[in-house]
Amino acid sequence: MHAHDHDHPPELNRRDFLRLAGASVALAGLDGCSRMPAEHILPYVDSRPELTPGIGSYYATAMSVDGYATGLIVESHEGRPTKIEGNPAHPASLGAAGPIELASVLQLYDPDRGKSARVGSEQVQWERVAANLAPAALRSRVGGRGSGLHLLIEPTSSLLDEELLASVLTAHPDARIYMYSPMLGDGATDAAVQQYDIANADVIVAIDSDFLSTAPFHLRYARQFADNRRLARPTDAMNRLYVVESTFSSTGSAADHRFAVRPREVTTVLRWLLTSVINGDAKTEAPAWIAAIARDLRAHQGRSLVIVGDAQPASIRALGDAINDAIGASGKTTWYTTSPLVGHHVPVHKLADLVGAMDAREVDTLIVIGGNPSYATPRALGFSSLMRAVPNSGYLGLYENETARDARWFVPMSHYLERWGDARAYDGTVSIVQPLVNPLYRSIAPPELYATLAGTSNGGARSYDLLRASWTRRTSGDAETAWSDALQRGVTADAPMSRVAAPTTFPSDTNPFEGTAFEVIYLADPKIHDGSFANNGWLQELPAPLTQLTWGNAGLISPATAHRLNVSDGDIIKLSSGQRALELPALVVPGHADDTVSVHFGYGRTGSESAARDVGADAYALWPAVGARSEAITVTRTGAAQALALAQTQSTGAGRDPVHRATLDAYRASPSSVGQRSGRVLSLYPEAKPPDSNTALQWAMTIDLTTCIGCGACVVGCQSENNIPVIGASEVRNGRSMQWMHVERYFADNGADAAMQPMLCQHCENAPCEYVCPVGATVHSSDGLNEMVYNRCVGTRFCSNNCPYKVRHFNWFDYNKHLSETELMVKNPNVTVRERGVMEKCTFCVQRIREAEIAAGRDGRAPRGTDVQTACQQACPTNAIVFGSLTEPSSEMMRRRNQPRSFAALAELGTEPRVRYLARIRNANPEIHDSR
Amino acid sequence: MTTVPLRRARGDNPVPTAFPAPPDASVLRFDGSDRALTDQLLAPLRGTGVVWWVLFAVSAAGTAVFAFSCWWTVAKGIGAWGNNIPVAWAFAITNFVWWIGIGHAGTFISAFLLLLNQHWRASINRVAEAMTIFALMNAGLFPILHLGRPWFFYWLIPYPATMGVWPNFKSALPWDIAAVTTYLTVSLLFWYAGLVPDLATARDWLDSRLARRIYGIFALGWRGTSTAWRQHRVAMVLLAALATPLVVSVHSVVSLDFAIAQLPGWHSTIFPPYFVVGAIYSGFAMVLLLILPLRHAYRLEQVITERHLDAMAKLTLTMALMLTYAYVVESFVAWYTHDIPERFTYLFERPFGTYAVLFWIMITCNVVVPQVFWWKRNRTSVGVLLAASGAILVGMWLERFIIIVTSLHRDFLPASWHIYRPTWVDFGLLFGSVGFFGFLFLLFVRFVPFIAISEVKRLRHDLGENGGREIGLPHA
Amino acid sequence: MRDSRWPEGAYAAEFADERHFVGALAMLRDQGYTRLETYTPYPVPRIESALRDPPSVLPGLVFLGGLCGGLFSYWVQWYTNAVSYPLNIGGRPAHAVPAFFIPTFEGTVLSAAVVAFVGLFALLRLPKPWHPMFEIDGFERASIDHFWIAVDATDPRGGTLSQQTLESLDPLRVVRVPATS
Repeated sequence: MHAHDHDHPPELNRRDFLRLAGASVALAGLDGCSRMPAEHILPYVDSRPELTPGIGSYYATAMSVDGYATGLIVESHEGRPTKIEGNPAHPASLGAAGPIELASVLQLYDPDRGKSARVGSEQVQWERVAANLAPAALRSRVGGRGSGLHLLIEPTSSLLDEELLASVLTAHPDARIYMYSPMLGDGATDAAVQQYDIANADVIVAIDSDFLSTAPFHLRYARQFADNRRLARPTDAMNRLYVVESTFSSTGSAADHRFAVRPREVTTVLRWLLTSVINGDAKTEAPAWIAAIARDLRAHQGRSLVIVGDAQPASIRALGDAINDAIGASGKTTWYTTSPLVGHHVPVHKLADLVGAMDAREVDTLIVIGGNPSYATPRALGFSSLMRAVPNSGYLGLYENETARDARWFVPMSHYLERWGDARAYDGTVSIVQPLVNPLYRSIAPPELYATLAGTSNGGARSYDLLRASWTRRTSGDAETAWSDALQRGVTADAPMSRVAAPTTFPSDTNPFEGTAFEVIYLADPKIHDGSFANNGWLQELPAPLTQLTWGNAGLISPATAHRLNVSDGDIIKLSSGQRALELPALVVPGHADDTVSVHFGYGRTGSESAARDVGADAYALWPAVGARSEAITVTRTGAAQALALAQTQSTGAGRDPVHRATLDAYRASPSSVGQRSGRVLSLYPEAKPPDSNTALQWAMTIDLTTCIGCGACVVGCQSENNIPVIGASEVRNGRSMQWMHVERYFADNGADAAMQPMLCQHCENAPCEYVCPVGATVHSSDGLNEMVYNRCVGTRFCSNNCPYKVRHFNWFDYNKHLSETELMVKNPNVTVRERGVMEKCTFCVQRIREAEIAAGRDGRAPRGTDVQTACQQACPTNAIVFGSLTEPSSEMMRRRNQPRSFAALAELGTEPRVRYLARIRNANPEIHDSR
Repeated sequence: MTTVPLRRARGDNPVPTAFPAPPDASVLRFDGSDRALTDQLLAPLRGTGVVWWVLFAVSAAGTAVFAFSCWWTVAKGIGAWGNNIPVAWAFAITNFVWWIGIGHAGTFISAFLLLLNQHWRASINRVAEAMTIFALMNAGLFPILHLGRPWFFYWLIPYPATMGVWPNFKSALPWDIAAVTTYLTVSLLFWYAGLVPDLATARDWLDSRLARRIYGIFALGWRGTSTAWRQHRVAMVLLAALATPLVVSVHSVVSLDFAIAQLPGWHSTIFPPYFVVGAIYSGFAMVLLLILPLRHAYRLEQVITERHLDAMAKLTLTMALMLTYAYVVESFVAWYTHDIPERFTYLFERPFGTYAVLFWIMITCNVVVPQVFWWKRNRTSVGVLLAASGAILVGMWLERFIIIVTSLHRDFLPASWHIYRPTWVDFGLLFGSVGFFGFLFLLFVRFVPFIAISEVKRLRHDLGENGGREIGLPHA
Repeated sequence: MRDSRWPEGAYAAEFADERHFVGALAMLRDQGYTRLETYTPYPVPRIESALRDPPSVLPGLVFLGGLCGGLFSYWVQWYTNAVSYPLNIGGRPAHAVPAFFIPTFEGTVLSAAVVAFVGLFALLRLPKPWHPMFEIDGFERASIDHFWIAVDATDPRGGTLSQQTLESLDPLRVVRVPATS
């Protein structure tokens, strides 16, 4: 029924039929405290107050994406994990967390998760499956030396996994282990990985690398990058970033100079850069801007760095190594280490070998552990049909997804918040993965499967015991103390990976393809990665950096290309190459490379994940081969169109310059010119009296637009902390987004630059929303908060009309009505769940403020501004957001607020916001004028 | 009490032939007896024709649509409409302002013109007042329906609540409530007070016992004593004097709902007079739209004469010119401010932006069309008057839509800009409310004397006895 | 009203013509009749010159009503927003004089209008569904096109004489009206 769509988002609607299942399981055992794991888990201990807002308890654990771990601290209420934070002690996090990590808590409660093991279509206990996997039972199938046994695992860096895989090979010497992830491509099994030290790089050139927001270790890189451009004073030093890329990325938006090039030009650029660096000022045919960059690099010998994206083939990355050698970066700002992924003690093979084996009918038993190869492989490879042909195929995974459909038997895998384990960060730092909650469903962890295969257990082994055993084996000295210390700090004392020489690959000297009309470039999605997080509403609804696209992907093209193809946003275009074809809506992005189409992986899912189904187009259908970054393509206009769910419909500031911008030189020349415009307005009323600092702290926030990279972590952090509902694509299209935090994006008119402005309630002293409310549902608190009284709100929406920042959101429907039992458990008990018909907006995390005040009261001291961190501030990888009290001039918040470049949004309206922004300063290279 | 059929009474009260109504500029050309006049004016009370039933069926259907759309909105939530952020107000508030505006003509005609001694109003004021009341009944529904939680609408009224909370009188919305409720109440009292003598006439004129009883109850036992007539006239003048400032105040207050906000396109000091003019403008259009068919259906050409049409048309033209002035001024001021958002809203977004088509239709209906009234032929041509009135009503609805939606959907920060598209519920409420209005009006025509009989009689005798020199109703 | 108390009833005469009726009324007046009442289908100004009624008290009542209404409205706003539960709303003062003007104005008009309406019918002693005049056959026309004059039977000048006096005015007819109870 048409009206039904209006009733509530279809995503939630389709999910309804699973509620019963979800509910029954939930009622089976989701009763509060009894969910604490039986084993003794230890809370995160750290005396720093800002790490303990709220009364929930906090535990350190780690989440792995493509095998690389990020250390996290998880807030838990009555045994329910509700909120993810970064672990300051962990090198990959430094206290921050990205959207994927922050949203992973919602995945834990996903009602679409696989709930019980099955063989064929018959539901069974895991023990039933395990019985057939015991070596004795299995040898009868796969032969005495297990030559018919093949394991395809998702990338993992777990020491425990490697140990257990080794013992599997002892039981089945001829069994083969493959590791695959579309993002690592066949590089997954590379022996060495490249490490960077952004902190000591004054000049950085990033070539086709989104190292600030999607590459492994990006949270650390972003923090280091931002720390070198804080500009406490105009005279302070500031690093400089050049970005050469095809698709406008977060890194590109942070660049001081950005150059849009077509994928096939990357090699050319690198070669020009190499020759310019080597030949010095000797004349080269390189364009002026490349020569200028080369001069800049050489001028900072040893403190400069060239980063070539991991997705580029080794032969091209080798060019980057050559340049780094030439500028003295190698060994200083970049070096190679052995890969933290498994494969050092067990032989790990490539996906291609497995496909070959399946083709040759050599595979009797294929067990897929994690990942989703039936979906996330080039369709041309035909993995799905090959797997169906395998006599005995099994899948251990979170969901009954495409791969589960191709497997004869399926066993649900435990979410990382439900299981014990260990994992290495990109630099090799080891963390213990400790569970926050017992498995919600009858799921197991990979180690338990490995132990069964190895015969060291008949399916009953628990990861905890396996982990403790392996821990004791490899820990010298007091294992007990080391163990509790590791649990409490979130990192172990194990040494990181050791440095090795750069792999010797000969730089390619041929361009992959010459003179083609169009090129397509394949990218990991900044939100749902390779598709593994596609069923996560928080991530689907997060406006993608720069494109602002939610709930789906699109063919990103430049305005010139759009004009050439005669398409505009939403027009369906067809990308085709030979037999392979893909139809998806076009989306015009200023600053995108011409004649190039960018497509993101992870959409067009067809598994049992109801939220992900039918969202976006499946780029794997077009992907020519594992590891391919780009290829020549034909693009045609189909004439069809589809409305995109865009969170922001305007691309530029329409000449209003909401974000103050300046070059570093201009800022130094006249610091005051970029600052705040005065906001005095005439009024019939007497001047509002300044906040009384004696009675209470005066809360305020400062956001640095120079270091904001628009990654969206703040948005998800806020969504998770404040129980913000997911409303679905149709509602986003209707302009009803509920996120209290919105990273607004303004392209410069030429598309060369994109400024990000995190927009949240500005908590104005003279709040326009307050005086128009007929019932006083929004009023001002004594500590300067613009308070929203949900219970008093009748929903006139006058406040929203009069809010010049449009940061107020209205509950058009009862958006929480259709949540499953499990989804309800992710709600933060300290925050009201808003009902239909009331306004809501950012509260400056008032629940954290009050908790901190109460805590301070308990300690018998006055609360301090530094006692409170807002959720957005805590998530921010670049520390662009700081929160505190106006009454503490020495605080970081006030020191930033008092900088000459601080300005209030729409200051001319005289609203006197408590939120201040720091103007966006770009460290432009005076020699370069043609950023493109 | 025993009744006597009229036919048994002796003699009638003819208009003295010595004093024929003057042919020129006559507002009353009736040449029958008072009783004949009464017979004609009360005729509808004895029953109506097929046309009435057809119209009644149509309007009843419209009312059903209205009711369903209201139920749907309350059941599902405001999300059933096309509204969003930034466009948090749209159709419902447009309808509200539109209906309130239409209501203004009633008070203007009956109160304002009474004070100004414009006695030609006598034959149209009752219809105009009824229209006011029904329009206000419609208008009043929308702000309540528009709430996110309509069941709490009474929170806007100051009453001692257990939580000790009160409305915030710095907001324009409580002003609105005060203004609209006052207006509705005063209009009702004014209307009913004026109606009592005619209800008495109906009571005495009708045959059926039941009808006499019912009208007798509402006539309150009126028997036209000299004291009654005098006090009645005093009261009417007082009520008129009170209602007249309301004509100015109500739409001024409504305009403040927008003017106190700081949104470009709303934040404007000329809004109060601008809105009042627009209100009376649309009200006159609606009066014409209702009077002309009545005049035809009940053969009232002698009571509602060309003189009325001419006067109404002239007033309409005047209002059109004032409104045009307002359009010009607000655009000029926007240009003069040098303020980017102001200029964008007035000088770009409205004439050339998303809803530009609607803007130009509005200009055509409100500015161009009424210019036909420069020619007397058009001022007295029923066809032209009907067409122009229809156009003006459409134009005035569009004006409010444009003020509300174009300003909201392109506000200060481009990042929050978003287009607005209405849903079927929005249209259901708009057309449904028109149906509901027609429904109420048809019932009024059927059961209530819709022309002020005693005033008309007074008027024709004044005309008679003063050799055609026009005299208005005497003052207290 | 003068006809609300007729202890011994009254004498009523019916006229078909306004000028005839007005003349008759003037004549009765000149003969010194004081307890007269008239019934007309529409207001006849010249009756007043004939009957010399005292000026209406309604305007005074309405003025008082308006005054009280205005004061009360302002008091409500001041008490609720500035005294009972003052809040910091958009940095504006709790006692916001300019904002309070409008409801004050509306309150004034509303109560004044209510007083005018209620006052009118209170002064007229209405509603009053029954009156002896209604007992007369054909009195219906008093609201359509005929004019009536009634003389209180206790009129000092008239008494039984009234009958003849009325007859002498050449009305359509003269009838005896029962007493008010």
